[in-house]
Amino acid sequence: MDGERIAQKVFLLAAVLSASVTVLLLAFMVILGLPLFQGGLFLEILTQPWLPGRQLFGVWPMIAGTLAIASLAVAIAFPLSLGVSSLIAVVAPGRIARLVKSAVAFMTGIPTVVYGFVGVFLLVPLVRESLSRGSGLCVLSAALVLGILVAPTMILFFSDALARVPRSHRIAAEALGATPAQVLIYVLIPGAWRGIVTGLVLSTGRAVGDTLIALMLAGNAAQVPNSLLDSARALTAHIALVIASDFDSLEFKTIFACGILLYAFTAAATLAVRRLGRKRTPAR
Amino acid sequence: MKMGLWFRAAAVVIMLGLAALPASADPLADFKGQKGEIRISGGTAHIPVMEEAAKRIRTANPDVQISIAGGGSGVGIKQAGEGLVDIGNSGRKPTDEEVAKYGLKVFRWALDGVGAVVHPANPAKSLSKDQLKQVYAGAIDNWKALGGPDKAINLYTRDEASGTRDVFWKRALDKGEIHARANVVPSNGAMKTAVANDPYAIGYVSVGHIDATVAPVALDGVVPTNETVQSGAYPVSRGLFSLTKGEPKGVAKLFIDYLFSPAGHEIIADKGFIPVD
Amino acid sequence: MKQPPLDMFVRLVSWGSTLLLLASVATVIGFLLFKGYGSFDLKLVFGDTPPLEALLLRRPVFGGLFPAMVGTLSLVVLAISLAVPIGLAAGIYMAEYGRGRIQQALGLFFDILAGVPSIVVGLFGFSVAVFLHRHFGGRIYPCLLISALSLAFLVLPYLIRTTQNALEALPEAVRLTAPALGATRLQNIRFVLLPRALPGILSGAILAIGRCAEDTAVIMLTGVVATAGLPRSLFSSYEALPFYIYYISAQYRDSAELATGYAAALILLAICAMLFAAAALIKQRLGARSHQRL
Repeated sequence: MDGERIAQKVFLLAAVLSASVTVLLLAFMVILGLPLFQGGLFLEILTQPWLPGRQLFGVWPMIAGTLAIASLAVAIAFPLSLGVSSLIAVVAPGRIARLVKSAVAFMTGIPTVVYGFVGVFLLVPLVRESLSRGSGLCVLSAALVLGILVAPTMILFFSDALARVPRSHRIAAEALGATPAQVLIYVLIPGAWRGIVTGLVLSTGRAVGDTLIALMLAGNAAQVPNSLLDSARALTAHIALVIASDFDSLEFKTIFACGILLYAFTAAATLAVRRLGRKRTPAR
Repeated sequence: MKMGLWFRAAAVVIMLGLAALPASADPLADFKGQKGEIRISGGTAHIPVMEEAAKRIRTANPDVQISIAGGGSGVGIKQAGEGLVDIGNSGRKPTDEEVAKYGLKVFRWALDGVGAVVHPANPAKSLSKDQLKQVYAGAIDNWKALGGPDKAINLYTRDEASGTRDVFWKRALDKGEIHARANVVPSNGAMKTAVANDPYAIGYVSVGHIDATVAPVALDGVVPTNETVQSGAYPVSRGLFSLTKGEPKGVAKLFIDYLFSPAGHEIIADKGFIPVD
Repeated sequence: MKQPPLDMFVRLVSWGSTLLLLASVATVIGFLLFKGYGSFDLKLVFGDTPPLEALLLRRPVFGGLFPAMVGTLSLVVLAISLAVPIGLAAGIYMAEYGRGRIQQALGLFFDILAGVPSIVVGLFGFSVAVFLHRHFGGRIYPCLLISALSLAFLVLPYLIRTTQNALEALPEAVRLTAPALGATRLQNIRFVLLPRALPGILSGAILAIGRCAEDTAVIMLTGVVATAGLPRSLFSSYEALPFYIYYISAQYRDSAELATGYAAALILLAICAMLFAAAALIKQRLGARSHQRL
């Protein structure tokens, strides 16, 4: 059957084409940033400060900025998400759980720029006025909003994982007289750890990859932040700020270094999650 | 009767004269029948003038499309040079190297200054050059030392592509250090907004952009205004430039001609800059 | 045996976190409503141009959201019409044809692509534009088409996975009936499997629309500008709602302009909420239990 063969070829072609985008993305960045990989320059760029006045174009401050903002955001989102998914799984199952779950699902659809906008006009003045120092544009402001932004993804993964723990385990524990809290802590959470780690890893990837929140709320100073109230610049925000206009100068090549780093990090996160053995679409 | 004839003859001569004059009488008429896109990017001090000019041109002739992006002077110079835009704006004079490398044609259409600004409620509105340099270097980090409230100074600066930064750094800070903790904002407009919203901020902005939402800081006793910039009393001044790769062509040429027309001058002055020919 | 303190603690933490999360979302939405509600009128969208003239494209709009709304609409339509056919075809391959190693390898690529930050996809789009500009006569700039293409890359892995999942979730009985009656593989897909999986695919596509409409990072590197008017062609610069919101937040000139920022944020939020509701409704009809974050 000729039509059959053609159709199969077309479907395969579409799949290969889509997959090749993944490779092309990396290839383009590596080729355009090529001189960076000669003579240990790449390592220099990763470890040096960003002082264009002195011809130093290192992105170490941006790496530190990303790490600070993303890890704080995850640290905020993690207990919050565990709490909410416990509510859905154990504390208030039924109608309330369903209601909370749809609210959380809705939250995943709220545009990032909307969070950023409200952050600029509500949170930043609040942080500036209530804490003794700084402009309010800082690691803390960005991490708070980013935490709220990634929490829904985490919650959906967590509560899914908790719900997948076999009912028999739960019933057995309850038969032994365990309270709901004991069931949660000794049965559900240990049983769902793969799903919890998956959610954690993918949410971290999302926090690292987000551009707008850091760009709008973190202040964008190219320094290694020393406190929560310091201004900081994320790798993503750096790419957005240093608008590429030529491919010759070192300054612009560094944004490809940032791009490669971000790609490598999120790809590693994806690989880690796949190794955890759960086949599912990663969240962004 | 005779008078009437003379009158008519004079009127005809005047009309002929007008028709023969270059476009300057009604430069918008030159856009009549024209089609095409003008892509503009770069200097952010220029944006209000660009937007107003675009609005008037497009009102007269919607077939001319004009897109305006920021990015900073460095972006304007490079994107014009790479041919990514038709007109690149710059708030600093492009270097001889840049002009030679890309074959840029440089049009200087306004005189502007760069002034330090603070929040209007901040009493510290006059600094010596030395104080300003120490503030930006981070050596003075509290407003109290400058006659302001006992609050940390929040530094604001621009990214490296900024011509405003370049001019301020060279002429006001004598190439002194800008502390790395300074918040970075992407445009003159964003700088003004940031300083207007932060009572403990100090930043620097195109003099043409200074309005009631921010307060200019006198440098060694001279307040940055159009008058002090024009007279030369305020030293941190610069031209505003538009650049094209080679001679401008088509609608891009008409756009630049429009900036130099009386109507263009009116827009430039209206947006707070000093028009030049 | 009972441990009231532990139970108390768990209850407290879970209720506390839930209320905190819901309160912060309520604050975000409430703040926007409170600040933006007052500025909704025709002037917000059309500026000083008469609405009819603007809609008929007779006169350009200045100082209104109209160009940004049209820009976002064109962008979404373009990106989705690029991504859906390819995503659908690739998803069909993954579910119905792909076997073994090849399928696994392709799946790995899609998962990695799904995780790539949108700013990196934007950087890729920008590089492609400059590459084309240099090698093809300087006619290609960062523009509507480049942005749409980049956004298509961004949502492609989701479309593939939702298509694949929707097809794979069909019960074996559905899958085997038509072939047993003599239908070919393609006929089975075309007339049986795809129609049955349509709700799942459709809800995925709608969520992809939302993602295209809200994304800012991709477009800010690939052609969106602050002022452009309506896009005239695929190769024009354009304005877009999310970028407008970002731009205004950094550099509004007066309170009137700021108010348009609030209103734009509300409009974008409403668009995304409606898309979400539509996707949820379709999915509910299907009765799917698995969630998919887009």
